[in-house]
Amino acid sequence: MSGEKKKIGVFICHCGGNISDYVDVEKVREEAEKEPGVVLAKTTMFACSDAAQQEMIEAIQKENLDGIVVASCSPKLHLYTFRAMAERAGLNQYRYTQVNLREQCSWSHRDDKEGATTKGASLVRAGIAKVRLSESLENSRVDTLPAVLVVGAGVAGMRAALALADLGLSVHIVETENEPGGWTAKLGPAFPSNRDGAELVRNLREAIQTRQNIALYTGAHVAEKSGSVGQFSVRVRLSSGESLQLKVGAVIIATGFDAYAPAKGEFGYGLPGVLTLPEFRHMLKTARGPLVFNGRRLGTVAYLYCVGSRQEPDEGHPNAHTYCSRTCCAAAVHTALLVNGLDPEVNQYHLFRDMRTYGKNELLYEEAGRKGSVFVRWDPGDPPEVQEEKGRMMVRVADLLDAGERIEIPADLVVLVTGMVPRPNQDLVHVFKLPLGKDGFFNEIHPKLRPVETVISGVFIAGASQSPKTIAESVASSLAAVSKSAALLLKGYVELEPFVARVDTARCTGCNECLAACPYDALEKTTEDGRQAVRVAASLCKGGGACVPVCPEGAIDLLGYSDSEVTEMIDALAREAVHA
Amino acid sequence: MTARVDPNLHREIARFGGHDVDLCMNCGNCTAICPLSEESGGSFPRRVIHLLQVGRTEKLMQTVDPWLCYYCGECSESCPRDANPGETMMATRRYLTARYDWTGLAGLFYRSAAAEIAALALVGLFVAALFVLFHGPVITGHVELNTFAPVHWVELGDLVMAAALTFFLLTNAARMAWMFMGGTEMFKISPAVYLRQVPVFLSHFFTQKRWRRCGSGGSQKRWLTHVILVSGYLSMLTLVLVLLRWFQTDRVYAVYNPQRLWGYYATAALLYGTVNFMVSRWRKADPMHRFSEASDWIFLVMLFLTALTGIVMHALRIAGLPMATYIAYVIHLAIAVPMLVVEVPFGKWAHLFYRPLALYLTSVKEAGASRVKAPVEAAA
Ligand SMILES: Cc1cc2nc3c(=O)[nH]c(=O)nc-3n(C[C@H](O)[C@H](O)[C@H](O)COP(=O)(O)OP(=O)(O)OC[C@H]3O[C@@H](n4cnc5c(N)ncnc54)[C@H](O)[C@@H]3O)c2cc1C
Ligand code: SF4
Ligand code: SF4
Repeated sequence: MSGEKKKIGVFICHCGGNISDYVDVEKVREEAEKEPGVVLAKTTMFACSDAAQQEMIEAIQKENLDGIVVASCSPKLHLYTFRAMAERAGLNQYRYTQVNLREQCSWSHRDDKEGATTKGASLVRAGIAKVRLSESLENSRVDTLPAVLVVGAGVAGMRAALALADLGLSVHIVETENEPGGWTAKLGPAFPSNRDGAELVRNLREAIQTRQNIALYTGAHVAEKSGSVGQFSVRVRLSSGESLQLKVGAVIIATGFDAYAPAKGEFGYGLPGVLTLPEFRHMLKTARGPLVFNGRRLGTVAYLYCVGSRQEPDEGHPNAHTYCSRTCCAAAVHTALLVNGLDPEVNQYHLFRDMRTYGKNELLYEEAGRKGSVFVRWDPGDPPEVQEEKGRMMVRVADLLDAGERIEIPADLVVLVTGMVPRPNQDLVHVFKLPLGKDGFFNEIHPKLRPVETVISGVFIAGASQSPKTIAESVASSLAAVSKSAALLLKGYVELEPFVARVDTARCTGCNECLAACPYDALEKTTEDGRQAVRVAASLCKGGGACVPVCPEGAIDLLGYSDSEVTEMIDALAREAVHA
Repeated sequence: MTARVDPNLHREIARFGGHDVDLCMNCGNCTAICPLSEESGGSFPRRVIHLLQVGRTEKLMQTVDPWLCYYCGECSESCPRDANPGETMMATRRYLTARYDWTGLAGLFYRSAAAEIAALALVGLFVAALFVLFHGPVITGHVELNTFAPVHWVELGDLVMAAALTFFLLTNAARMAWMFMGGTEMFKISPAVYLRQVPVFLSHFFTQKRWRRCGSGGSQKRWLTHVILVSGYLSMLTLVLVLLRWFQTDRVYAVYNPQRLWGYYATAALLYGTVNFMVSRWRKADPMHRFSEASDWIFLVMLFLTALTGIVMHALRIAGLPMATYIAYVIHLAIAVPMLVVEVPFGKWAHLFYRPLALYLTSVKEAGASRVKAPVEAAA
């Protein structure tokens, strides 16, 4: 093949023993040297060290190399390190291939050094095959619009809008309800500061009104989206029925959560003495002194925790909420403190499964106890029962803190501490092609390292739309989304990796089979020399490759992972398998 | 059986000195560190605190746990929430003592030091008044105590008092048994079992032997002090209630005479014990003495004063000062009698009685249960 004339360099890393303890790197090096085109093969103690990188740069320049292979750790760790190194040496970064000798070889075959060495040599051979056919590729560049669409005007959305505006970006907030503020505005005083949520929201709203570059649309819905990162065009339906076309560079989704709605009869829900926590909080908002409930002074309250959270998948809930809503324990003990402030005579029983008032909220838990709240732990296998008896509620529970003895608590009010569930977000999922997690909340790319980015470039998630969060956590994540959007937009352009599909228009017959295969609508019809054909919109293409195998003409290839490259790699691997 | 809770129990216990019940988060550190809990198969103090929090009044009445605790205070030191589990156990004993007492006086005295002091003063004045009104001829030439206070009259008074004390103690003990055994359940166990277990009561009553195993250091000494105090106390009771005719004589015997030796021992033991415990409470040296309720002080002070006035009177008599001796005698009785009448059935002393009783009733329960179970096991 034509590629064989290329001059290739191979660098094999010891990883300080992580690799060389199990893989005979010298042997691998010898094998690599025999491959056609390889003009230089070296081992190195730590390829990622500054000194080793410098050595590689010198080798590339001195030998005038056309491509290099670094056989080291996972590309997740150092792909960008070595791409940058190649660029510094004057070599196109896509002429570099990383072979994973550590996670996929030495670490996984500690019991078989010889086998590991043979496999290592094969992997390197495949890497060399890929480099041999690699082309120089250039990142594509898209100009970005200095504007952001924020969907949802809860605390997360409002706080994001303010921060974006202060960075000089224009902001459009779209809120389905007629008032902004989300849950925070509805719940009264909020932990940990006890500031009134409505006041918090009022302050945010006033601040928003003073900014020229924020537009808030209430009673509005996102209807349609086109374009991609840097250049989105979104149609919004206003309350008036009119539509608005917004041009933005990025989108932040901050649509929050829904409170779990218990089924009728679930822990007595529907009985006159049973409320959910949000319902009870609503009642507390107007109270000023001793509480009156159902015409009687409130004497005893029983809180029932984990309702609608931590459900067993086989409990007969097809869409069981198996996760912990994490905010409700704190919200419940905080509510008990509010009640105690209104009337210290009220007896409060907390029927919990595990007390998860993490972090500073532990202090609320302690304080609630100090003020006389009583905690009774129950076993999910033997949950409490709520019944109406002689006009009062009777809660029966096996008290785990007393060896499971059954007790009954006569209560005036039973509060179901309901968890957080995802909103019915199908419309948004459809419009933005956003992935949902198993729990139904929006999903990030990586929970630790890329917590607010989604697989759709330029679309970020914030607040409780991602997972149950407190106000502070919601705001923290919304500000993270702000910084990710600003980092994207303030530069004025985005660079996109060139691994997109390429259509060989000479072979394309315009059958359009591929159009349906693409989940990102990145293929569009076009005419080429008067013939029907298909074209790739590079900024929309994610390089997923779904179109490649459906083309009956084999006219589509994926840059960076072309058919020929992959075939050569497989051949290189198979060659060793035959020997063995 | 499902037990109905009483949400007010934790407020009630606060009135008996259990102020920190609400602080407990049921972590169980206290139970883990307690040297007595595990060997008695209990889960105290944590479980007792939980019963208080939740409001399990009935179960609390039926559990022996509060009586198994001798308050070494290690639990209070290990509690991460500073919930003072040891003091809560003490408060629970006060509460239970009040619940057993049908007159309601025990509860009143625990909750109000003023009431207790008023009762003591009232009984004291009554005793003094009796002497002022009914004393015998006052011989001033030399000391003739048995003429001033004829021993058979005093003895009669003693017996009336002893009968009253016994009446209150026994009726309260019966109430305790009724509550502890779960009402009519108590009759399901044969009287023979009750009889056979009596030695359990006696040995615990006289020795408080479990105490020695309570706590790591120092409890041995506290236990010994307590035993000495109890022996002094019982000696005193025996001398004045049973042997008064032998004890209260006008003739002054030689120092080595048993009458004088036993009297001296009783006095010395009372002084040693009370001073020791008062100093400890004052300095808050032991964890168990860190939180003193008024009722704890009153009993100690009354005992101490009883011994002290006894010594003063004895000294005056030896010195041959008739008038002073008679007055000291009246004062001595005006302290000793209320100390007995108020403290024994209604005060701090009562818990010395209930504790072995609880241990006794527990072994009755166990023996009764194993007798019921036996045929089942045999069949299996
Ligand atoms: C009973 C209870 C008590 C709580 N107490 C506290 C507390 O004391 N302290 C604390 O820190 N946290 C508390 N929380 C949690 C707090 O409510 C949340 O952290 C916070 O509301 C999350 O804010 P958010 O903006 O992410 O979501 P939300 O408050 O849910 O706001 C989302 C907004 O988006 C809008 N929206 C939804 N879908 C769309 C759509 N498709 N298009 C446009 N707009 C949309 C909604 O109408 C809403 O206005 C409590 C929660 C509960 C249930
Ligand atoms: S935060 Fe508490 S109440 Fe909520 S789901 Fe988790 S454990 Fe249950
Ligand atoms: S009293 Fe203290 S140590 Fe004992 S269970 Fe309660 S919190 Fe824990």
